[in-house]
Amino acid sequence: MTPSAPVSDTTPPLQPGRGDLPRTFSDRDALVRELAARFPRAEGGASTIRGGSKPALAALEAVDPVRYAASRNHLDGAVSGLSPYIRHGVVTLAQVRDTVQRRMTRGPGPVSEKLLQELAWRDYWQRLRRRLGDRIWDNLEPLKTGHPEEAYARELPADIREGRSGLACIDAFARQLIDTGWLHNHERMWLAAYVVHWRRVRWQAGARWFLRHLLDGDPASNNLSWQWVASSFSSKPYLFNRANLERFGAGRHCPGCPAAAACPFEASYEVLQGRLFAGEASGETT
Amino acid sequence: MERPVLWIHAEALGPANPALLAHPDRPALFVFDDGLLGGADEPISLKRIVFLYECLLELPVTIRRGDGAEQVLAFAARHRADGVVTSAWVDPQLGGIAATVAATLPLQVLEPEPFVLLPEPVDLRRFSRYWRSAGPRLRPDHPTP
Repeated sequence: MTPSAPVSDTTPPLQPGRGDLPRTFSDRDALVRELAARFPRAEGGASTIRGGSKPALAALEAVDPVRYAASRNHLDGAVSGLSPYIRHGVVTLAQVRDTVQRRMTRGPGPVSEKLLQELAWRDYWQRLRRRLGDRIWDNLEPLKTGHPEEAYARELPADIREGRSGLACIDAFARQLIDTGWLHNHERMWLAAYVVHWRRVRWQAGARWFLRHLLDGDPASNNLSWQWVASSFSSKPYLFNRANLERFGAGRHCPGCPAAAACPFEASYEVLQGRLFAGEASGETT
Repeated sequence: MERPVLWIHAEALGPANPALLAHPDRPALFVFDDGLLGGADEPISLKRIVFLYECLLELPVTIRRGDGAEQVLAFAARHRADGVVTSAWVDPQLGGIAATVAATLPLQVLEPEPFVLLPEPVDLRRFSRYWRSAGPRLRPDHPTP
């Protein structure tokens, strides 16, 4: 943990009152210790990702719509890392939009609008949440997997939650979720597909797990994305295979995986569909 | 409303918070509400609380823990406020707190700058339908932002 202190630049305007939480700490460790004592039911430690507008503006400054469009699906791609800051309004979606639009017009030719579209996904999820309220915890449509709702377990199995499924990729995603509170979008989709389709667990259990840990955890985008993977808010369930994971996974996971010889993802999409779904159901892929 | 207090919630923890921009000199409050921390079954992890706290330390706000509406009303009484100003929310739990506050004191809700203005009714059945309307309005060469 680095020693620089998240001490306030601004002074609170009025005298502190009894029961106000402290605003001054000698360093980040002291802040984390204080919060761990005050919130004993909150598990774990701090993330390496820091809150506040300075890291948010630094991430905004680094946004590159061209590199983003070309590489965003890869784990080492030029993704913005802005999601925790947007989630909590540290920077607004309108601010990010303005920056992206300015950068799109900088070069001589047209620039892909992929990044604008990703921002629009958030706006879309927020609008849906306003309309749906707490119904985002219910299946918006019937599942298209051929399995009844009752075929899915209600609770997340402990081996997934604790990062000891024995699958190098899945365990790395789980540990990163727990340690940093941030996952690349592709990692979220792979992990969600594994939970829902390979382990046949209700998406709500996975969504609750993500909300507990993700710094950008927001029931709107989180639950509706889980529903997209599960197929209660899409026309097909989302599936991946080992080739897809190796193509976009920056070569991190399969070498040395203890389950490499019996990888549950090593198959064509056709074979996986037959194995995971019932009847005529087919899968959506990336 | 002449002497409001500001209620800052977890959807607007930046300097662009419209309540802070409109009333930079008024006392502001953020409440860690147990319901908003994930409830009894699924409390959020410490890293999320640390992240929120680091955002709060940059803002001129008093930080408290407890029931959201009770804390906002007690803060208003402490500062002899004649109303509460906040920013719009999406989370219905924030709406519940706002409704309880508004039953006792005038509550003004300020809207942040919208991402894109769309003609109503907006078709949200699938993203593709939304994007058909939003996409052209978001392109940098669109005449009105």
